[in-house]
Parts: sequence; structure tokens; C-alpha cells
Amino acid sequence: MKDLPGTGAPVHPDISALIPWYVNGSIGERERRRVDAHLAQCAHCRDELTREQWVYRSMTAETAVEYMPSVSLNRLQARLDGIGVAQPEPAEEGESADTAAKPRRLSMPWQGLMAASVAVMAVALSLLAAERWQQYRARAAAPPDYHTVTISEPRAPGEAIRAVFSPTVTLGELQSILDEAQLRIVSGPTEAGVYSLAAKSRRPMSSSLALLRSHAQVRFAESTTSAPSEPFATP
Amino acid sequence: MAKHSAKEHDTELLVAVAAGSRRALEELYLGYHRRLARFLSRFTPRYENVEEIINDTFMIVWQSAKDFRYASQVSTWIIGIAYRTALKSLRRQKNHSSARSLDELPEQTIDPTGDTEVQDWLMHGLNQLPMEQRLTLELAYHMGHSLEEIAAITECPVGTVKARMFHAREKLRMYLPSLGGAASEWTARGG
Repeated sequence: MKDLPGTGAPVHPDISALIPWYVNGSIGERERRRVDAHLAQCAHCRDELTREQWVYRSMTAETAVEYMPSVSLNRLQARLDGIGVAQPEPAEEGESADTAAKPRRLSMPWQGLMAASVAVMAVALSLLAAERWQQYRARAAAPPDYHTVTISEPRAPGEAIRAVFSPTVTLGELQSILDEAQLRIVSGPTEAGVYSLAAKSRRPMSSSLALLRSHAQVRFAESTTSAPSEPFATP
Repeated sequence: MAKHSAKEHDTELLVAVAAGSRRALEELYLGYHRRLARFLSRFTPRYENVEEIINDTFMIVWQSAKDFRYASQVSTWIIGIAYRTALKSLRRQKNHSSARSLDELPEQTIDPTGDTEVQDWLMHGLNQLPMEQRLTLELAYHMGHSLEEIAAITECPVGTVKARMFHAREKLRMYLPSLGGAASEWTARGG
């Protein structure tokens, strides 16, 4: 193994220990001056700094990947809806956090407890049923957050459309087409120019697909489901 | 109207979250999602895992906001929750894989002549680090946190953070023996 500049063991461990914070800019002023003064006279630590700056810049390099948080947020909201049944509803405006956090103390004659418990159970059951229904609806409605063009089926339940638009299409035209078809962009374009689109209304996907296919600015459109539940109305 | 700093805004949002505001939680979520997603995606390529860690983090934020003592910054608290959630999740994932330690690696034969190769090589070296050391390095370099902030995020003494950083750098140094040369060339090119 070669002992190239900056790769040998630190000659000055106390300065070496400060270098990461010097490199990321979070070091205090007094220590920064100390490191500066040392670097001016120590070639070995300058090599170490060079190496560490390279690692730092490599690790902070921007990636091209962007995530769309809205779908993930919808899933979090569904989970929160789920725990809403088990916990008291949080305080609304005007009510302090303290009062919201503490359970209310209710005084009730014991004769009423039986009837009240039956009522509470009935309410709890209905809330549970409603919550399950909400969860089911949320899962069914949530479009997949992404899928690749090499996989024939979307990752999560829910239909999506892959489409390629004409290279001459303007942003305004693209938005107009999507609005008309009641679709929104989930991801894309890929390097091949493929957009993944999901429904933003209850309009049948087959109808949106047909509309896309009829549009001159759409080069290609297909559903991501391999076996659509209803036939496409291809023009 | 005086412009609030991001820190003050986060504090206001967390106060509202503690009082039960779902809208405030949503705003906090959207404010942190990009930063957390980019950080977490350095450990796991699958967005499902990234999303799971972020959503688990914000479930805890929702449930624990009323217990936050404001002794630290809100961002430090949230990233600390994400750190512990990620650590748990990544350990679980690692148990399913057959990751090797640095000591078991054969002598390197890759010649890091191009930027991409060197970057890949660095990422491979990072992947070999023990999880706490890797996370410490990522919190410092990718996220830009200070030594004290990392101690608060990881709930460890400053000395532990220093030790993790030392060992992480030492192992990378052993793993990437010729990076000194690559780094010099790269720096000379203004990369």
C-alpha cells in the first residue's frame, strides 16, 4: 500500500482532529486561526487537508434525484388518521397544549357508568370502522410515488400512465393537456423523455389515456397496468 | 413585519404541532423532507426505505412535540429523531445483507483514474464503515453539522463523536490509499 500525501497516519493528531470541522466550516474562530497558523508551516497537514477537502466535496456533491414529498405526506396523514382514534383529538385553537395533553377528569355517578360504557364502545366501534375505511380509501387513492420504465407494473396499487410528449411542446401546452386529461406528473421526464402521470380526479384512466392519445403533441401514452380492467378507447 | 429566521419559524411550527395542528406538522414535514431524503438516500437506494424512515420520524415528532424542551434547536431535535430511526432501520437492513468489514476486504486493485471511479470507490469505502462512524461522517460532511451539534443529534458525548470521526477517517485513509493523488489532481482542476 503506497503512502501517498495525506494518506499516512496523522503527524499532528490534535490538528488532524480539527480538520473535519475546519473543512465543513463549523470550527470556532479561535481554533480556525490555530489551524491556519499550523498549516502555514506543516506540509503534511496541508496534504491531509487537501485529501479531507476532496472527501468533503465528494460527499456534498448535488445529486440529480429529486423526491416529491406529497405522496409520502399523504401516507403519513393516513397513519395519523389511524392513531387519531386511539388518542384524544388534539386541541384546536384557543386551547392550550397542556390541556390538550392531559385527559379530562369527568365526574359521573356510577349508575350512569354502565350506560356510558356501552355508548363509548359503540362510538369506538364506529370510529374504528370509519378509520379502517379511511385507511382503505387512502391506500386505494394514493398513487405510486415513482416507478421505473423498465418495470411493467407500478410499485403500489393504483394506475398510472407513461407518456412521451413532442419535443416542441411548451410548458403551457403540457399543463393544458394534463389539466384536460385530469392528470398530474408523478415523475419524469426520464432520459428517454418519459413522464409518469397519475390521476388527479375520479375520471377513468382509460378516458384520460384516450384523450392523451388523441392529442397531436403526445407521441406515446400507455397505462402501466398490464391487464387493464376496462378496454382502452383508442382512437 | 420582521422576517422570522428559519429557527424561529421551526419553533413556532413545533409549538403548533404540540397543540395538535396537523397543518403545522405538514409544513414542518415539507420543510425537512428534501434535506432528510437526500441524507437518507446516501444509505439506502430504495425510496420506500427513505420514506419509511422520514414518516416514522414525523410520527415521533407528532407524538412527542409536547415533550420537547426547547433546550436545543428544533432542527437538531428532528434530525436526532431521524438519526435514531435511520440507525434502527439500517441495522435491520444490514442484518439481511452480508456486509463485510474493512478488515475482510482484499487488497484494492481499482485504479481511480476518473472522477466517477473515484467517487464510486469513495462510496464503497463509506459503505464499509460501521454505521455510527458513517453517520457521524455524513452528519459532518453531507449535512454540515458541527461537532457539538452531532453530539446533540446522536445524544453522545463530544468525545465519542471525536472518536467516531477519527476511526471513520482512519479507515477511509486505509481503504483509499491513493486518494491523496486523486485529491490533488481533482483540487488542481477546481473540482
